[in-house]
Parts: sequence; C-alpha cells; structure tokens
Amino acid sequence: MDNIALRDAFWNRIFEIAQTNTDIIVVSADMGAPALDQFRRYCPDQFVNVGIAEQNGLVLSAGMAMEGKHCFLYGIAPFVTFRCLEQIRVSCSLMDIPVTIVGVGVGFGYDESGPTHHLIEDIAIMRSMPNMTIHNVTDNVMAAAVAQESCGMKSANYVRLDRQVLPAVYEKDADFSTGFAVLREGEQGYIIGEGAMTHQALALAEALAERGISMGVIDMYRITCEEAAFVALVKDCDRLITIEEHFLAGGMGSYVLELLNDSGVMLPVKRLGLSHEKGYSYTYGGRHKIHEYYGIDMPTILAKAEDFMK
Amino acid sequence: MVNFIDRLQAKSYEVRTRVLETCIKAGTGHVTSCMSCTEILVALYYGGLLRFDPEDETWQERDRFFLSKGQASPLLYTILADCGFYDVSQLEMFAQDNGMFGVHLQKSVPGVEITCGSLGQGFGMAAGVALAAKMNRENYLIYSLLGDGECYEGAIWETAMFASHNRLNNLVAIIDRNGLCVTDFTENIVALEPLDERWESFGWDVIRVNGHSLEELMLALGDARSRRSTRPLCVIADTVKGQGIDSLSNIPLWHGLAPKGTDAEKARQELKRRYENG
Repeated sequence: MDNIALRDAFWNRIFEIAQTNTDIIVVSADMGAPALDQFRRYCPDQFVNVGIAEQNGLVLSAGMAMEGKHCFLYGIAPFVTFRCLEQIRVSCSLMDIPVTIVGVGVGFGYDESGPTHHLIEDIAIMRSMPNMTIHNVTDNVMAAAVAQESCGMKSANYVRLDRQVLPAVYEKDADFSTGFAVLREGEQGYIIGEGAMTHQALALAEALAERGISMGVIDMYRITCEEAAFVALVKDCDRLITIEEHFLAGGMGSYVLELLNDSGVMLPVKRLGLSHEKGYSYTYGGRHKIHEYYGIDMPTILAKAEDFMK
Repeated sequence: MVNFIDRLQAKSYEVRTRVLETCIKAGTGHVTSCMSCTEILVALYYGGLLRFDPEDETWQERDRFFLSKGQASPLLYTILADCGFYDVSQLEMFAQDNGMFGVHLQKSVPGVEITCGSLGQGFGMAAGVALAAKMNRENYLIYSLLGDGECYEGAIWETAMFASHNRLNNLVAIIDRNGLCVTDFTENIVALEPLDERWESFGWDVIRVNGHSLEELMLALGDARSRRSTRPLCVIADTVKGQGIDSLSNIPLWHGLAPKGTDAEKARQELKRRYENG
C-alpha cells in the first residue's frame, strides 16, 4: 500500500464500503483526514460532525446504532476515549451497543503537542471493559482490514491509530483472525510489540541478532487475542520481552503476564514501557527524544534486553 | 375532554399508589422522583400520545421513549406492566432477588429502550435515534424525559445544540422541573433559571407548563406529530418532587428513599386523601 498515514488507509476502506452501505456513518469530533474529504464529498449524508463534543458524539453514535447504523466515532485518541469514557462504559460496554471508536495519535504520535495529547493509559482502561475489542494497528494493510472487520462487529471496538506513517509489515491478503502474528522467528523467545512499538521490536530483534541473541517478534495487534493459541505458541520459550508505548500498569505487557499466569506458565518476562516514576513528559524534539526520557529508546532497550537475556 | 382528563387523573392516582406500594415493599426506590413526573408519563402512555404495542415491543414504527432520568424507573415499570408488557406481579419483585429490575432503568425489561442511571446520557442516545430516523426517513417520534438536575451535565447541552442545528424536530425533550436535586434546591446549588430561555437560546421550541396539569401537558404535547417547526421541542414541566404525598414533598432528604413504618402509612393516607379531595 502507498506510503500514507494509517488513518487514510483506514478511511479509504470505509469510504469504499460506505458507497454501497448507507448504514455506515462517520461521526467526527471535528477531525478530518485527506481520505475523509472524499467521504464528505460523495457521502455527505453519512458524515456527521458533532464538533469538539466527544460525549455527545459517543451517545449519538450509540443511539444511531440502536436503529441499525454502524458509526465510526473519530477523534484525537485521548479525547475520543477518556473524555467520553463513562459514555463508552454505559453505552458500549454495559448496553453492548456496537460503535467503532477510532482514535488517532495513540502513544506519542502527537509528540510535539505535549502530554495532554499523548495517550499512554488507554490499553489498560479500555481492556478493563467487557464488550470492547482493542485493535493496535501496525501498518496500512492492517488499517484497511480492521476498517472492514469493524463494519460487521456486533460489539464495540476501539481502533488505535498511530498519527505517523508506519512502515509496511503485512502482505496484502494477510490473515488477521488470531489477534497476534509472528513477524520473525527466533530460538530463544519473542519480543512482543503493539502498534508503532512492533516496529521497534523488529529493530530490537535485529540488533540482538547482531549480538548473537536470537529473538523472534510477535505483533500483539488485537486485545483480546486468541489467548489459548498465544499461550501455546510462547509457553516453551526461554524468555519473553514486551515493549509498549504505554504505562506498564495494565498495558499490553500486563495482558501478556495475565495470560501466562492464568495458564500456569512460569516464564521470565521483561516488560519495557513507561514507568509511573517518570510520570508525564514535556519533552520536545521528536518522538525519539520522548523515548529517551522514558528509557524506551533503542540504545536503552537494547542494553536492557541484552542484560535480561544473559 | 373532561371525562378524558378525569380518567387520566384517576390513572395518575392508581399509578402513584402502585409506585408507592412497590417501593415500600422493596424498601428502596426514588419515590419522590416518580411522583413529580407521574402525570407526564400518564399523558404519554394513556393519553394517546405515544405509539406502542405491548404485543410487539420492537415494532419499528413505535415512538421511542427514553427515560433519561433513569431513577424514575419504578414509575415506568409500573406503567409498562399496567399496559401489558409483562405481568403486574413482577412489581412485587422490584429490586429483589430473582426480580427482573432494580432501582435504575435497564433495557432488558420489555418496553424499555435503554439502560440508564448515569445522568446526561439517555437524552443524547435519543438524539442519535432521532438522527437515524431522519436518515431512514421514518416518522416515529422520540421522547426523552430529563430531570432538571440532569441539566447540570454538560453533555446535555452538547446534545441540545446538536439537535437544533440538525433540525431534529422529531425529538421531544420533557424536563421534569421539580426544582430539587439530592442535597438542595437547584436554585441554591447553581441556578438553572431562566431554564426556558436557555433552551430557547439553544435553538429549541419551548413550552412551559404545569407538569401536574394533564390538560396543559396534553395541549403542549398533543400536536408533537403534526408540528411544522423545524426545531426540536422542549416541554418544561414545572412539578413538585413528591407530588401527592405532602410529608415527602419538596424535602431534599427524601431523594432516593422509600418511606418505612409510620412514614409509609402516613404517605399512603396522604396520597389517598389528596385524591379524594381532588
């Protein structure tokens, strides 16, 4: 797929579907995207701009869903989740009404915007609710596939889109049914990533290989994944490393630990992510500088991984 | 008309009595919150305003009623039972083990559209249904009953301005303006008045009525289906929290409670006397 942003890959597919399915509605909290311009032009009756009003956007979407519409509530990730969190809890989780929440700028995607726009707690919070599937989108092929999958979902889902262009990982017709994918094989274990950090995991695996440490890479692209299959895959590994652009409390690494523990698998796991001791960051100068602040930049995680693998 | 209104008044008394007995038996329930909006729901369900079919609760052409002030659930549950959505004996099990409903509204109950207890949300969902109805070119109406205290929620006003901007004239908001929240009168907490002007300034047609006058309610809501205005309609119903039971009326501390013991007996007598004295 072309080197476009994840959101454009996502909305391009939604636009294709919406042209023949008038029940597909985009509810925007004053958010645009190049790919949405054509949606607004050719499907104006299926585009609703609620303004900067995420709470109304969510309940409005839930109400429309009760009448057969499938709404994509679109906004900046921290606001389209946390500002309307209680609405999500009541409408989507408790009442089990299918709405697709599309958040752009997870992690440090809005790097220069500061911590109000960083989103580093959402996996923990969103995965605590029943009837909510989280999609950690890794590349444009997956973005399009998740868009397609969302249209048929019977419960709510939350699509985490990075703001920045991410390199391609998946082939055009990749299978996204299991919720995780092995992107690289290794002999000593796996590095597990999510979203943008899956790309970091691939780079880390390569760097470790140069140092004689053979680690594979798993992309945890959906929470929940097919959990029994995941545990079966990793249970005989020597070591696991998880890496996420998220606070360690409750994030993807925690999810992995829960799966292992609840399956009786005792396996050394090193979680790389953001510590509460570091708090929030007002670091500028690019995403890599924020990674340095939290110690998830490549030199630091390489050193930590090497030490862990000794 | 007189006979019709008399019948609705008799029904209001019957419903109030049953709500009171249901909550006394359960030992819980927002009695006073139900009493303030009894005539509103009686007008909707017995006054021929709301289209519904107890035999087919998901009838596509039904009007939708969203009780956004979900704490008045005993009132709606009582009316739905009386209208035949389920057996009246279910009310005996209100908020009890093996019962089908609790203190706040739940959509699993036949005839109930939404789960509601968190204020400020049901109204927005109603607007979503109204928007979808416009998109689908369907003619049913969507009524939502809000508490006045619920209007403190910012999300109400997000929805209010959205609904008027999008000309959702199929949406009717009724505000139970009983003047009381949990701890105090609204005008002491943060003043809501002039509430009618506020809704007007958000682009709604506003009618203000005595919310215990079935005549005024029927006049205000009677032509909702044939209105020519492109604006959504807001009916502000001035009411008394605990109406019909003097010892519970207009007293903040009775919010969310059911009377017990001698208080319960007193409430029964007052309600009966109130009806006998007209």
